[in-house]
Amino acid sequence: MNKIFLVLKREYTTRVKKKSFLLATILIPLIFPAVIFGIVYLGTNDGDSSKEVYVLDESGYFEDSFSNTGYTYTFLSSNLDEAKEKFQEDDVYGLIHIPEIDLDDASKTRYSDFSFYSKTNPGNQAMKDFEGEIKRKLEEVKLDRSGLDPTVINSLKVSVSLSSFNLSESGEAKESNTDLSSAVGYVFGFLIYMFIFIYGSQIMQSVLDEKTSRIVEVIVSSVRPFQLMMGKVLGVGAVGVTQLLIWIVLMFTLFSVGITTLGGGMEAMSGQMPAGVDMTQNQEMAANIQGMLDTIPVVQIVVSFLFYFLGAYFLYGALYAAIGSAVDSMQDAQQFMLPIMLPIIVGIISLTFVLQDPHSTMAVTLSMIPFTSPIVMMARLPFGVPTWQLLLSMAFLVLGFIGTIWVAGRVYRVGILMYGAKVNWKTIAKWFTMKV
Amino acid sequence: MNILEANHISKSYAEHRALNDVSISIPKQSIFGLLGPNGAGKTTLIRIINQIIMADEGEVLINGEKLNPRHVEIIGYLPEERGLYKKMKVGEQLMYLAQLKGMSKSEAKTKIKKWLDKLSLTEWAGQKVEDLSKGMAQKIQFIATVIHEPQLLILDEPFSGFDPVNANLIKDEILELRDKGATIIFSTHRMESVEQLCEHIAMINKSEKILDGTKKEIKNSFRSDKYKVEYKGDFSGLGAEYELLDTKHLEDGFYEAIIQSKNGHNPNHLLSQLIAKTEVHSFVEVIPSVNDIFISIVEGGNKR
Repeated sequence: MNKIFLVLKREYTTRVKKKSFLLATILIPLIFPAVIFGIVYLGTNDGDSSKEVYVLDESGYFEDSFSNTGYTYTFLSSNLDEAKEKFQEDDVYGLIHIPEIDLDDASKTRYSDFSFYSKTNPGNQAMKDFEGEIKRKLEEVKLDRSGLDPTVINSLKVSVSLSSFNLSESGEAKESNTDLSSAVGYVFGFLIYMFIFIYGSQIMQSVLDEKTSRIVEVIVSSVRPFQLMMGKVLGVGAVGVTQLLIWIVLMFTLFSVGITTLGGGMEAMSGQMPAGVDMTQNQEMAANIQGMLDTIPVVQIVVSFLFYFLGAYFLYGALYAAIGSAVDSMQDAQQFMLPIMLPIIVGIISLTFVLQDPHSTMAVTLSMIPFTSPIVMMARLPFGVPTWQLLLSMAFLVLGFIGTIWVAGRVYRVGILMYGAKVNWKTIAKWFTMKV
Repeated sequence: MNILEANHISKSYAEHRALNDVSISIPKQSIFGLLGPNGAGKTTLIRIINQIIMADEGEVLINGEKLNPRHVEIIGYLPEERGLYKKMKVGEQLMYLAQLKGMSKSEAKTKIKKWLDKLSLTEWAGQKVEDLSKGMAQKIQFIATVIHEPQLLILDEPFSGFDPVNANLIKDEILELRDKGATIIFSTHRMESVEQLCEHIAMINKSEKILDGTKKEIKNSFRSDKYKVEYKGDFSGLGAEYELLDTKHLEDGFYEAIIQSKNGHNPNHLLSQLIAKTEVHSFVEVIPSVNDIFISIVEGGNKR
């Protein structure tokens, strides 16, 4: 036990002292939100805010009625061929062509005759925007002509949104939020996937380094191979947990700082603005976030996350160690990587279906199998999982990682002393059964 | 008192039998040569003693006690394939390896300092191993092997990779350790080093022990009553008791001959005969070197 600790300590300190660790630990919490913010920013602003669009309106209904803010509209008064020519010459985003239409005679009107010309394929959103503009205007005109009272029409419209509740056994109804649950589920599932991938490779690299530098024979004359392997797995895991904790603290701090400065800014602004509209909106949003968080079992998720995080890490970490011991170089390791990565990939891919129906047979099954349960169960948890399922899945995971550690240990003890052997699955199976 | 006794050790890997009923005993404070060609099973035996692998059959006793995990602390092992953590600093590395051998931190610290001073490596303590020359790395490796003052030192091809100066340095250190009470096992297929250092020898070939004993006994048992004579002036007619195996004309009327004695007379008998016939300039019994014995056994399969 003491020796496992010595190995652990070495693995931990050499890693934590590295500059790359410091860099990754500090930069990722900064880069990650920056990237997300950037994507959101680009997504909402759609890059260049003043894309120019030509409109050739032969119907005469649309004069100056295009108002979507994302674009500047220039109306042309020529025929279609000339308009196309002009469009080709000028640096504009697109050309909308509205043919002559007769709104009174439904049989003569073909709404599919409207066209949009562009030099590149237009995005979905752009098409929807333009369609929306045209539809809105035509409806307006038709409504106007029909002589109906717009207020009557408006009063006929209803807007429905389903509120979803979880009804617990005690009859207590709790509002649930499907979108939030999905997001949380996906994020946690993905975090585990990333962690296995990054730290698993580190274990493998570390085993391989000891093997190729030939120090391993000296080490195993002092410690049992199993102690060496466990020390390594635990040491690298401790590095991962350290990194994760630092990330959580950093992100939380950044988040709080961001919220307070944002809130402060809002307050300052509301002082100048009439009737503090934004102020109330802001409070409403905060209340909303609070309410949304109440809908998911936060404590359960955090505790389970730590559990599955470590469980998955042990399960796969041991297998990575075994692969590292079996091969002589990273290239040789590739052939063994796929079968080990496969269950993880299945877990990640299945998330789409799991999040659609978190209580389907497939979702439940995958959340029981130790190789996929850390990812799938984490995704299911925000939707509420029966306690017995959670406990069963955890028990299976514990059995699972005990199993893989046992198997890996048997391969490892032989593999680390084998050089230049041509290794395939058959040799590994042989090592597994070999008496040492 | 034997520090190590290995009794009837057998070990198989899948279809291959690496060791077959091998027994050796190693007296305390001796230098023991474990000889054999590559692939004979030396490393397997060493790994069994180091508890890296386990014997299928037989047992190993250390100081009369069955091999157990505590014994790693009294054994120092220098494997044939050397290696250190390249990215780790010399001092930290030695500390780690010493602690793995069960030393306390403070104890290890003094010993590391002592050894680095002794091999004039002190100024390198803060350097990474990858920045060291190969010779220096080898010395560090040697320190790592002996840092915990092992009672039993197992050195697998210890001089490979050392330049002659460092090889001598290491040899002196080994002898000093022996004088202080350590027992040393040398595993090698290079016999010159054995000839000088070892008092006891065991030879392993094709998974079996084929020879065992003190160097003197073994050499004696391989004496073949041959004599090498250098003389001036040709002669003939030594009689039926002697056979002239080989004569070489050197120069200025000098000759060199190998003479086989067939009757077990002592050398004086032959010498007196020779003096009567020619002018003897040198007379020496041909005693096989360990190398000769090794080659004759391995090549001839000459089991005695």
